[in-house]
Amino acid sequence: MKRKLALAALGVASAVALAGCASGAPAEDSTGDIRVWLVGADTPQDARDYLKTTFEEENPGSTLTIEEQQWTGLVDLLTTSLSGSDSPDVVEVGNTQAPAFTSAGAFLDLSDEYDALGGDDLLPGFVAAGSYDGKFYAAPYYSGSRVVFYNQAMYEAAGVSVPTTLDEYVSNAEKLKAATGVSGVYWPGKDWYNALPFIWENGGEVAVQNSDGSWDAQLSSDASVAGLEQVQAVMNTSTAAKDGDESNAWVPFREEQAATLSAPSWAYWSIVADEDQKPTALTDNLGYFALPGKDGGAAQVFAGGSNIAVSAKSAHPELAKKALAIMLSDDYQSILAANGLVPAKVSLGDKTAGATPELAAVIAEAAANAKLTPASPKWADVEAAQILQDLFVQIANGGDVASLAADADQKIEAILNG
Amino acid sequence: MSTLAPARGLPPRRAAGPLRRLLRGPWLLLIPAAVVVLALTGWPLIQLVIMSTQEFGRAQIFGAPPEFVGLGNYLDVLGDPAFWAVLGRSVLFAGANVLATMGLGIAIAVLLTRLARVMRTVVSIGLLLAWAMPPLSATVVWGWMFDTRAGVVNYLLSQLPGVDLIGHSWLFEPLSFFFVATVIITWQSVPFVAITVYAGLTQVPGEVLEAAQLDGTNGWQRFRLVTVPFVRPVLLVLLMLQIIWDIRVFTQIKALQTIGGVQEQTTTIGVYIYTVSTAGGNLGAGGAIAVILVLLMIVPAVLYIRSTLRQEES
Repeated sequence: MKRKLALAALGVASAVALAGCASGAPAEDSTGDIRVWLVGADTPQDARDYLKTTFEEENPGSTLTIEEQQWTGLVDLLTTSLSGSDSPDVVEVGNTQAPAFTSAGAFLDLSDEYDALGGDDLLPGFVAAGSYDGKFYAAPYYSGSRVVFYNQAMYEAAGVSVPTTLDEYVSNAEKLKAATGVSGVYWPGKDWYNALPFIWENGGEVAVQNSDGSWDAQLSSDASVAGLEQVQAVMNTSTAAKDGDESNAWVPFREEQAATLSAPSWAYWSIVADEDQKPTALTDNLGYFALPGKDGGAAQVFAGGSNIAVSAKSAHPELAKKALAIMLSDDYQSILAANGLVPAKVSLGDKTAGATPELAAVIAEAAANAKLTPASPKWADVEAAQILQDLFVQIANGGDVASLAADADQKIEAILNG
Repeated sequence: MSTLAPARGLPPRRAAGPLRRLLRGPWLLLIPAAVVVLALTGWPLIQLVIMSTQEFGRAQIFGAPPEFVGLGNYLDVLGDPAFWAVLGRSVLFAGANVLATMGLGIAIAVLLTRLARVMRTVVSIGLLLAWAMPPLSATVVWGWMFDTRAGVVNYLLSQLPGVDLIGHSWLFEPLSFFFVATVIITWQSVPFVAITVYAGLTQVPGEVLEAAQLDGTNGWQRFRLVTVPFVRPVLLVLLMLQIIWDIRVFTQIKALQTIGGVQEQTTTIGVYIYTVSTAGGNLGAGGAIAVILVLLMIVPAVLYIRSTLRQEES
């Protein structure tokens, strides 16, 4: 009964909503309300304010609303919302997820705007992620690599220094755990992005494409397994929930429950100040470095970041394109850069600033060696199926790395080749 | 269900023509309900069946024409061991939840009949609050209580001598995950059962119970032999609804999976349909699983309708 009533109510509500849409249609494109979906807390408040004010000044009578979505379950959410009649106009999507939507026709073709948006100045890897079949659908938005933050006092107390190789990073974690009793490295089991450098640095891959176009998952190769075993060793030094995710990981870190945390560079602001903007134990005690590679230098880390696109079902495509143009303008991208993100344009790269010049250098060092997940339109389905999260939760719980990796390989191949 | 009731208890009116009788009679009253059911349940169901015979992926969601594949999706699904694992897990999980919910619900309903007015009001309000809470909020709050690092459950249990559960994950082991899920789901479904059964219990005639007492029956015998037969139809409806609701449970499991646990080992059929169709972008296979689930759900429904018909005949 309850459910039938709810259904009936829903039916009436959607009928009303549909009627509303129909009567509003003739006004198309002159003025309207543009809904922009940003994901997570990555975009700083300054940039959000700039976008809204600039758009509304340039387009009198129109308004722009920013709605914040979660990274968790984003593929599912976009699949349902972009295909519906109430689609948002401009959407941010993870760079590794973009191919699932560009290949499905979910985004408006932006090929004609390519030069106006920045042309060859746009980050090439992200342009590739946002293009399909020779057409340009999703512009680069920003890039950002992980930086390793550490508690200087704890490193001193444990007698370890900033590691110069990946092996040293692992052994430091164990020493820190033994000396301090808190997490050597704070690492919730679902945080698989942080595990990728260990695979790559040991010479492994997630998946490689055969000459016939099919995919061969490589997590169970000897090189990858060596990396995964290092991951397990580091995870062993973590007191984070073995099946938790990485959201708000800076809270236990700034409360001195962990000596090390690998997180996006903008996490800096959440580490040196709490929700009430009060100083934390880490404010004057925070160090940072780029994750070291197997043979020194910076490790190949995951090139995280986002693309930005206009929904194919946008009711106001012209206005939406204008909003997107603002987000790729030099002014807007400079705000992102000033907040520690790597901007979408190569020419603005040197504007990336951490809170300090040293942090900026670390961010640049990490970004220089960044690498992507397998370039398949179906990779987003691997992410959505949570195969990697499940794998690392089980590794964190002490499971047998080789057999878990072999199992995950099978599932990844089933999806990529399915 | 509703189409069966009007067939009975009507005085035959031979004077009117059959069509007129139909239009003036109870059928007229059924039209609004029938239209709503057909539009809101029938149409999506037809769409679902059509989709389950098509290759329907993300490209089709955004407008590409789907390709007809006959029973291909069904064969794929039925040949996938993952599907059978999920189905078995769902049936076991639903069974445990239905038993727990019905048992607790009936016990609380009996308790309500024995309580004085003030306490009965307090208990009823408590039940209604648990029932009124949106499942998502409830799951999130329960998730906090069972949190690995800061949860109150780990904290309180660790106060016991010799127990140290700080850092224990309640969701990693599948059995433990389903224990937490059962607590949340039972907590929210008991109120509906309790209040409905209580309403049924108030209709049991006091004189019959009194007569049974005079005949020397004890409390349990009166409950089993007098009360239960009176409220049997109510219990059957509840049982059927609970089976259906618990088999296709979605929100609580999905939300718990975002808090912790290994998704692959804790997915039930409702979440599986979602994972395959929306997250995995394969609506054809998801549709096939949904149709199979509908067919399975028809079994308890048919059993229920048969038993009500038999009751009405006797």
